[in-house]
Amino acid sequence: MAYSDKVLDHYQNPRNVGSLDKDADNVGTGVVGAPECGDVMKLQIKVSDEGQIIDAKFKTYGCGSAIASSSLATEWLKGTSIDAAAEIKNTQIVKELSLPPVKIHCSVLAEDAIKAAINDWRRKNGKLAKEEANS
Amino acid sequence: MFNVPAPDAFAVFGVSRTLDLDEQELEMHYLKLSRECHPDHNRAQTTDDCAAVLQRSAEINDAWNILRDPWRRARALLEAESAGVLERNKKLDPMFLMAALELAEEVAFAESDRQAALTDKLQAAIDSDFTALQKDVNNGDFDAAAKRVHQSHYHLKALHDLEAKS
Repeated sequence: MAYSDKVLDHYQNPRNVGSLDKDADNVGTGVVGAPECGDVMKLQIKVSDEGQIIDAKFKTYGCGSAIASSSLATEWLKGTSIDAAAEIKNTQIVKELSLPPVKIHCSVLAEDAIKAAINDWRRKNGKLAKEEANS
Repeated sequence: MFNVPAPDAFAVFGVSRTLDLDEQELEMHYLKLSRECHPDHNRAQTTDDCAAVLQRSAEINDAWNILRDPWRRARALLEAESAGVLERNKKLDPMFLMAALELAEEVAFAESDRQAALTDKLQAAIDSDFTALQKDVNNGDFDAAAKRVHQSHYHLKALHDLEAKS
């Protein structure tokens, strides 16, 4: 299967690889996995008092598409607001990276990771709606 | 394309649906079943018979490949007990996933002098996954068992990656 140039670019030069302090109050961490392929993705955001994402880091163990999806996600997250970040959809990632149907689940993983990171930050900062607190 | 569900491997072999199959007995059984389908021992009278024997033979081979591998055997058992149980339990505990990520990093950066110890560590994790899986299955807790199978996949993959390095 041929990867798109954008996937290859992110795979070869992943942006924002690394970790933020998961215990810090202004950091939200999301860790999600796709057990069928044994992929795991950790995505972290650092949020300012104004609700702006000032930094984003990821670590992904998985295929090229999973790495590219999370790398792209951190690029999009940096400088955006929490509310705008929550609106990012996997379909946007699919479109940007031209992911083939068999790799769509990688973009779903990235969306799940973003949502998990946002929820973690909201939980820490008392901004979580009750029904979400249990999820 | 026909979407025929794969027949239950345990039923194909006519063995009880359990994780604890004696592998030697299983192989003897496989050889016996294969012999029954072999064209030399099984002169089909008509083309229809011939196709049926061929079909049976393919089912036996598929079932053998599933049953001989403890983890594939576990997947088949869980699906037979509770259809869709693996799909329903794909969401794993973040703490586990974090540990899996650290393990993957450890494997990726392992120097050659560290490989033997790491292999032992992973093998121990896989063995303990299987023991826990057997317990869950015996308790009839197929949801917990499905999560074990998913978790073990990370350990098996890490071991595979480690072996590929050397």
